[in-house]
Amino acid sequence: MGDVSISKLIVSCVIFTLFVALPVSTAYAHPMEGTNAGFVQSVDGPAPGPFLYLGAKHMVTGYDHLLFLVGVIFFLYRLKDVVLYVSLFTLGHSLTLLIGVLADVSVNAYVIDAIIGLSVVYKGFENINGFEHVFNITPNTRVAVLVFGLFHGLGLATKLQEFMVSDNGLVANILSFNVGVEIGQILALVGVVALLGYWRTRPSFTSYSFATNTALMVGGFLLAGIQIVDFVLFS
Amino acid sequence: MSELPTLPPFRKILTATAGAWLTAAALLFGAILPAEYGLDPLGTGRLLGLLALGQAQPIATEDGEYRVDQTELSLYPAEWVEYFYRLDEGGNMLFTWTATGPVTYNFHASPDGAPAGYAESFDAQDLQEGHGTYTAPFSGIHGWYWENTGTEEITISLTTAGFYTAAQEGRARAAGRKPLTDIRGNRLPVDP
Repeated sequence: MGDVSISKLIVSCVIFTLFVALPVSTAYAHPMEGTNAGFVQSVDGPAPGPFLYLGAKHMVTGYDHLLFLVGVIFFLYRLKDVVLYVSLFTLGHSLTLLIGVLADVSVNAYVIDAIIGLSVVYKGFENINGFEHVFNITPNTRVAVLVFGLFHGLGLATKLQEFMVSDNGLVANILSFNVGVEIGQILALVGVVALLGYWRTRPSFTSYSFATNTALMVGGFLLAGIQIVDFVLFS
Repeated sequence: MSELPTLPPFRKILTATAGAWLTAAALLFGAILPAEYGLDPLGTGRLLGLLALGQAQPIATEDGEYRVDQTELSLYPAEWVEYFYRLDEGGNMLFTWTATGPVTYNFHASPDGAPAGYAESFDAQDLQEGHGTYTAPFSGIHGWYWENTGTEEITISLTTAGFYTAAQEGRARAAGRKPLTDIRGNRLPVDP
């Protein structure tokens, strides 16, 4: 059985590499660049529409947030639990996004994004029961999702601060960005929940769940690694 | 049943975690660093031809004729001027300007064939200088609107170089110093 698992693991890693990890390297985790960034810099006053869009886009195209959510809901079979955990995540990231921008908290974006990458590793490791078997502890998954939500929010805040020049309409714009993030999160979740829900009905779910969470760790390590490289080169 | 697997959970989890770490490290150092950063620590970038992706092309050639323009524009209080260059789509221009007093400015462009008065604004601020490069997003006229917001006459010195084909200036007419006239219509002497 051990051999079978290893071969499945390799297959999953290859699939994951082709479909998730490689696009990450070209799209990166944070696509607010180019024309969008130019626009945000020129904003002076409330612009709810564009910030709503940017928040949603950031979430839908941000691999770090998406992979973390996949990890969080991987073993959540009941919709009630999905709503609970996603609400905790939302509470966490909204809190630090609002406070971070309003209080002008500046944290190195690469460090925060590396931590966000490691949150994906954490979730994959937790899903394969790593903490029970290796460290003999059972982490409180609800507290964990809330705490990592705080880090994700700080990442969002740092990203938004980099681009926002004007304080004019600041609160309206952060709130719009935040609402956009939640819309994007719901859009992404609908897809992920539907795919996982279907996959759970197939026998391959049980046999590949270990490998998939290992692949999640690959993605998390990769995201963190890219941020560490950026930190070393550009900070 | 729990004794059957060849790898105990502890070993299996550690193997998976280490494998994940190694896979990520291999991808990062073997593919992403060469392709995205132009770094090749393992030599795989050269081997797989990925290095070319990470090396930005520093030179872009242009078809148009290279031109240089230097101009001084003086503005009385509240007077404005527009100064445009005609650039084709993708045409580049290097610019530097300074004003001797407070101005508000707006860099904008109007595409050829656009409705009358249509312009896209790219930069609008209250600064006394500006330096940079501009790449025309479309063919048309591209340039500045400057307005003197102070109480003294000022001069704007503009120097540009690039692949534009023409320059043009637009102004509010009949601006400047006016002679003072008394109630009988006689001109009064003016302070210099």
